[in-house]
Amino acid sequence: MTAQAEAASAADVKTGGAAPGAVWHHRHLLDLDVVSWPEIELIMRTTDEMKGILARPIRKVPALNGRRVTTLFYEASTRTRVSFETAARNLSADVVSVSTATSSVTKGESLVDTVRTLEALGAEILVMRHSVSGAPYLAADVFGGHVLNGGDGWHAHPTQALLDLYTMRQHLPGGDLHGRKVAIVGDILHSRVARSNVWSLTAAGADLWLCGPATLLRGMDRWAVAWSGGAIPGRGRFHVTSDVNEALRDADVVMALRIQRERMQGGLLPSLREYATRFGLNAERVALARPEAIVMHPGPMNEGVEIAPDVATSGRAVITEQVTNGVAVRMALLYLLAGSHDPAHAGEAGR
Amino acid sequence: MSLRADSHTGPRVGEKVERFEVEKAWLVDPASGREGPGEIVVSGGLLESVVWLEGKDALGVTDAGVVVAPGFLDLHAHFREPGFEDAETVATGSAAAAHGGYTSVALMPNTEPAVDEPGVLERIRSAARSNGSPVEIFAYGAVSVDRAGEQLSAMGELADAGVLGYSDDGAPVRTSKLLRSALLYAGMLGLPVVDHAEDTAMTAGAEAAEGYVASVMGLAGWPEAAEVNAVSRDLAVFADALRDEPRARLHLTHVSTAAGLDLVRRAKAAGLPVTCDVTPHHMAFTDEWIAGARRWSWEALGADGKPRDPWADGALVAAPYNTALRVNPPLRDPTDAAACLAALLDGTADAVATDHAPHTVVDKEVEFGRAANGISGIETALGVLLALVDAGKLPLARAVAALTSGPAGVAGNWPGAAATPAARSRGLVEGASADLVVFDRADRWLVTEGALRSKGKNSPLLGRELSGRVLLTIAGGRLAYEDPDPDRT
Repeated sequence: MTAQAEAASAADVKTGGAAPGAVWHHRHLLDLDVVSWPEIELIMRTTDEMKGILARPIRKVPALNGRRVTTLFYEASTRTRVSFETAARNLSADVVSVSTATSSVTKGESLVDTVRTLEALGAEILVMRHSVSGAPYLAADVFGGHVLNGGDGWHAHPTQALLDLYTMRQHLPGGDLHGRKVAIVGDILHSRVARSNVWSLTAAGADLWLCGPATLLRGMDRWAVAWSGGAIPGRGRFHVTSDVNEALRDADVVMALRIQRERMQGGLLPSLREYATRFGLNAERVALARPEAIVMHPGPMNEGVEIAPDVATSGRAVITEQVTNGVAVRMALLYLLAGSHDPAHAGEAGR
Repeated sequence: MSLRADSHTGPRVGEKVERFEVEKAWLVDPASGREGPGEIVVSGGLLESVVWLEGKDALGVTDAGVVVAPGFLDLHAHFREPGFEDAETVATGSAAAAHGGYTSVALMPNTEPAVDEPGVLERIRSAARSNGSPVEIFAYGAVSVDRAGEQLSAMGELADAGVLGYSDDGAPVRTSKLLRSALLYAGMLGLPVVDHAEDTAMTAGAEAAEGYVASVMGLAGWPEAAEVNAVSRDLAVFADALRDEPRARLHLTHVSTAAGLDLVRRAKAAGLPVTCDVTPHHMAFTDEWIAGARRWSWEALGADGKPRDPWADGALVAAPYNTALRVNPPLRDPTDAAACLAALLDGTADAVATDHAPHTVVDKEVEFGRAANGISGIETALGVLLALVDAGKLPLARAVAALTSGPAGVAGNWPGAAATPAARSRGLVEGASADLVVFDRADRWLVTEGALRSKGKNSPLLGRELSGRVLLTIAGGRLAYEDPDPDRT
């Protein structure tokens, strides 16, 4: 298959609809809003198979042998980038890594020109991280291959939400999130992790609570209100609150989000200390959750701010599992994207 | 109806229209408030006769076909010259204006250099004289030197050179203190301050109107309060300035929120001589277009009067984050769009202005949050208003008035302007220099990059059909635009 032969645009993906079966047909993965629940389950099953590969003595399969994966990161990131590159190498893909510090980007080259150049250099799958919401849609509009969003602005971080979902399913009885209370606490307003989790967790039927200081929730309540009537097929209502106790009470899953120092300069928070006091996940607060509840964090952590060190290292914390699962989820997505529109590759996962 | 100007032998753009007749068309004359079947004759560049048809002569003539109206006046456009000629020039902007039915355009001074002294104004005037288009170009001067909000521009010299008023558009007049001085000084000269009402401290980094759509899309929210604050400030400072200088005038441009318009409504009711305009895009497009919806604002309101959910009802049909939709003020929700229309209908808004803001691909084919603000809209304003008319939301005569006598009335309040556009665009006046547009409501046209005469292809309407193809525009007795299809007449 030549990726260049695909003429579909981002618009096609946006309106691609959701096939009830288990066939992956999305050319790009930019956000979870267009991914149906059966497709999410396909990703979860494919991830299971990738986990099987990771359990082998030699963690490498030839599935993407000769395929060219390029990571284009406009924002500093260690774990996401390494996770994607590890995933690609586990599938035997050739990996090219472009960072903005060493590329023409610092000379003012536009995103569109950079993407066209990378395509001319042979990139087939572009994994992209960018600080501006929506940037991967611009890339997808001009790129002949597949774009995989590694996080854009405040908008979306679909692989993170999928690895979160995978990790939750591993720990919940029957792998079922239906009616399970998930509390995400932190800087919701600026969080692409929170937004992508809204799509996946409401699709999973979870009882989702987003919690943070009022200044870091602004606008999110309007989203919650819009969905309160259950208007969107396959998506559910969720809650937005500044009452951390209400959010955590009887939760099955507790997730903390990183608080960034810029929020103080922006006049949104008085101090990190005050945040830690009122919203930080400490042992006392986590005790409000169910006894078997798990504690998650997408990383990188500010221990002592949004999460206390003893909570982060407690037996409930599954934070390193999230990292491990991240590689498997990204392997699954690279595999599915590389095989999309290509029946010859369908159903080969893990063989 | 027939157009008797034979395109093979008739005038070229810029030449006087010696003879031109329209038979059995729908005439709209805001000056007399009359509309109906009629005929016009242009002779020697003058509107020689306007005949209203009655009885059987009028049979079969409806307002759904060819319409003759006064040429349009745009109180707010950017032709980018000098300084940004790759985005637009006075020549290309004038051609675009004529294609949109406009015969007079008032240009904002945010050029490079800004129009803060008469030399820059003269460059624009010179470009207007030499480009061959008869579209009349008016210009605002900057309120402050380099639009920096520190020091008053050469206001008196600019008035002597013939500016229409003053604005730091693109940005608000920075401080209340400077605004007060500007209103007083401009008032002394019989000229207005035209303000872009935005509390920029609240909008730094903002990408889209705060609300459901911005929240879902992870776009930094642009609070409604940023406009309301600024409108409130402007009205308070204006009321204060009026006590010292009764000729002070304030015009608020592109007001876009229900609450901001309500402040203007109350100020007018209290007798303050403030005027304001709304744009076609704030009336017809909404923030859900950024997510990929393309339905008109009135189609996005549910029966309960609340915005419908584009993620719920399958309205998302286009790629999201289209930078043609990045504009300042931002596109807002359908209730604000409805409020803009309501303001036009109840007279709170005096006029429709396009805020025509052409940009290059370099400035628009970038990440959404980094794209230049603005919509290229002077060629689609009529079509957008006619969509409102077609939907039964706006009477045809009101749409025409909003483009003609409305803005002419606003400019008529600015007595200091050496040559005001008030004389034009008011109505179909026999014996006056012919200044009119002929368009066909039954004839739709496809908005494409090629169809737009503007250099700015940043229109969210690309690929969409609009009704009301402009067949002919005559400005000041001279041909400004003629539809190139020879079979159409």
